[in-house]
Amino acid sequence: MQTTLDAYDTPAPDHIRSHPKHWRNRKAGHHWRTHDEEFDGSKLGMWLFLTTEVLLFAGIFCGYAVFRLLYPEAWANGSHYLDWRFGAANTVVLLISSWTVANAVRCAQLNNQKWLKINLIITLICAALFVFIKLKFEYIPKLADGKAPGTFFNYPMAQDPHEPLWWSLYYVGTGIHALHVLIGATLLGWVLYRSWRYQAYGPTEYTMVENSALYWHLVDLVWIFLFPLLYLIH
Amino acid sequence: MSHAANHNDALGWNPDDPHGTNTHAHGHVVVSWKIQLGVLLVLLFFTALTVAFYNLEQWAENAFSIHLPLWVNIVGAMLIASIKATLVCMYFMQLRYDKPLNTFALLFCLFAVGLFLFFSMLDLSTRGAVNKFKYGEIQSGGTGVSLDAPPRDERFDARLSPRVQTGGDNLINTVRQNAIAAYLAEHPDKTEKDWWAKMYAKQKHPHHHWADTENYFAQLGYDHSEPALSTSQKRVVRTGRTDALELAPGHAAHNDHGAASHNADH
Repeated sequence: MQTTLDAYDTPAPDHIRSHPKHWRNRKAGHHWRTHDEEFDGSKLGMWLFLTTEVLLFAGIFCGYAVFRLLYPEAWANGSHYLDWRFGAANTVVLLISSWTVANAVRCAQLNNQKWLKINLIITLICAALFVFIKLKFEYIPKLADGKAPGTFFNYPMAQDPHEPLWWSLYYVGTGIHALHVLIGATLLGWVLYRSWRYQAYGPTEYTMVENSALYWHLVDLVWIFLFPLLYLIH
Repeated sequence: MSHAANHNDALGWNPDDPHGTNTHAHGHVVVSWKIQLGVLLVLLFFTALTVAFYNLEQWAENAFSIHLPLWVNIVGAMLIASIKATLVCMYFMQLRYDKPLNTFALLFCLFAVGLFLFFSMLDLSTRGAVNKFKYGEIQSGGTGVSLDAPPRDERFDARLSPRVQTGGDNLINTVRQNAIAAYLAEHPDKTEKDWWAKMYAKQKHPHHHWADTENYFAQLGYDHSEPALSTSQKRVVRTGRTDALELAPGHAAHNDHGAASHNADH
């Protein structure tokens, strides 16, 4: 199997090679014995953080399960109000972006600076596309219909008095997820900026790429469950 | 590096290079692009599969009135989602090639999520149960304490919010009456029937609405599609709720009337 030892030896341009932020010039923190230990520790920390993120969304999923069992008619109506095509389109967008970000990590590991940047740019385009679909085809038309959460509910053709609760859960679940999309895109944008400016990431220094990618995959993971729960189960 | 580079101790620490700038003798695993692409294609396939499953089920229901049990829909969708999530974790998040501690952290978290869901469901499914030690309190004909008029507590009687002025009616009905009133004020020549026609025409899934007491639905000639209510063929199970205890008798009767008249139409 290929390892980071098989990285390309492409030299960086002169003005970047000597920059302290270039990946070859980076050293592990003085409290770490090796680069590897710093990397592993950082990654474990990221995973621990991701578990708290999973628990955050678990609260929403549990609320979904409880209210679904209490008010099955409202939940069935709610899923009929959503169009699976937009949910599926966003699933495809996020899966592709997860793939490109995994490729970005691979390119950083192999010192493929050009494709590292290209992969990150595709990922950011996917993030923008996801938010666009969400707003243009889902949030804005639904709010215009009065399909709003809780006391803002104003949809005159509702069938069940608990539909405002469904919309609350829908907007909180997808809204917190969309917030994570924006945070993840910001992190990846930062990675893109630094690799553009300094070639900051390479085979021995890609912790930030790896951890931002993990965050992005988590966003994908949450959507993998939100999509069937909201759009497909009735 | 000096000669000492070859004399790393058991922990992999090199005294000549204490900060490990040069210690990358083993390298990190780089996942092959073929595997990554294969995983993406499998994930897209499963997305198509879950959508196809959903549409197939809807089609069977609408075209042939085949009502699969609800759990088929839920278990199918969740099973596919779990497979997809496992693939993302193993290959995109590289847990398969990683230190096992990271996998352990995730699995322990999922165990906690399982406990969370388990106890929530346990609570919900046993709300109707009566504990043995309380048997004695149940009397034939009730205890005489009325559930229709619970003791009033002024502290909880405050106005909810300026938006919620329903005059004792439910929110749905208030919203609808407001919409009809606004429509009639805007179009003095129109009737309530025109409002229903407009809204039915706009709806993607026109149902016979339980509040459509004049049955404009049939009058206007809109076709019927299956509403998500209990029928003799399809049972929608409620869990953890005892309607008779929550709703005033008049209110409950109103809902029953809507559902009953709907069923009678077909």
